[in-house]
Amino acid sequence: MSMPEDERDELRRKFEQYSRSRDSELRDQLVTAHLGLAEYLARRFANRGEPLDDLIQVASVGLLKAVDRFDPDRGLEFSTYATPTIVGELKRHFRDKGWAVRVPRRVQELHLRLGKVVSSLSQDLGRSPTIGEIAERAGASEEEVLEAMEAGRAYRFASLDAPGVAGDDDNQSLASQLGEDDALLQSIEHRVALSPLIAELPRREQIILHLRFFEGLTQSEIAGRLGISQMHVSRLLARSLAKLRGSADED
Amino acid sequence: MGKDSEVRLSIPASPEFLRLARLAAAGLASRMGFTYDEVEDLRIAIDELCFSLVGNAGRPGTIVLRYWMEDDALVVEGVGQFEDGMGTSPVLSPLSQQILQAVVDEHELTIGPDGPEFRLLKRHDAA
Repeated sequence: MSMPEDERDELRRKFEQYSRSRDSELRDQLVTAHLGLAEYLARRFANRGEPLDDLIQVASVGLLKAVDRFDPDRGLEFSTYATPTIVGELKRHFRDKGWAVRVPRRVQELHLRLGKVVSSLSQDLGRSPTIGEIAERAGASEEEVLEAMEAGRAYRFASLDAPGVAGDDDNQSLASQLGEDDALLQSIEHRVALSPLIAELPRREQIILHLRFFEGLTQSEIAGRLGISQMHVSRLLARSLAKLRGSADED
Repeated sequence: MGKDSEVRLSIPASPEFLRLARLAAAGLASRMGFTYDEVEDLRIAIDELCFSLVGNAGRPGTIVLRYWMEDDALVVEGVGQFEDGMGTSPVLSPLSQQILQAVVDEHELTIGPDGPEFRLLKRHDAA
């Protein structure tokens, strides 16, 4: 991360100014000037199953912290100071999100296939398949199937803060797939009394939450009714619950 | 099979270890022939109850989990042993109650001699 001498001097002056004034505009400038460093470090953590955008965001949080804590009087280069802070933030991200236990590639691949296997088996059997049946169809062990289900979950929680997964945001079209739209949504509104946070979920997640926990439909039944995969239902449910929990602790 | 097939697991009371609690439950449920849907339900219930013990950020201490089979059901008990004291009696939010009612056959959250504890029972519906 080399930059021209005069630019470096300019930044050093800004850091000195910022350490005294805590001016938010200066802070923005300092953060922006070092975004390249955050991105560079984020890239080193790519290919671990997390979208790069998320990682850059996490790294940027680390960068913010570093800008705030940096003491230019100590004579250290900012990048020298900031690197361990940013890397620490990235590592904590992986640790918090349950990737501390590395998911083996075979399990990751199985996770990606799992959705198709489960839905084709459900169709063949006319019911939710057992783990043993899934393992047999997938040519894997039961342990691997269970690990793959977990792998999905670790990843799901990881992407919580990311803007919806592709294809997740068409709440409208989902609602329109439901015949009894109005009655359903009305009863969802009653449930909102249980937790106002429900109202903040995307419409699609509200509907799934409602069907699962208030109407008592199984995940397969919801999948069939909404015309989406069972894995998708499972993913959205887990995400809603995590959101409800996450926000619940903030107040 | 009864308590002679009991499995015990002690984990730090922190969210990143909950996957182990879920995996153990899923492993046993799978042995008992639970379906994919039932295993998913079980995992939701374990999350819900464990989070009600430790909160979103975790607490210093451990959760001791016991799993065993009762006829066609899997029973899970968890006890929170925390270093920051017993705290107040744990309460399930109405939403948590509703969720648990939908995913497991029985559940309770109480305060025991060692700390807050939960118990859940999930039946396998033999098709």
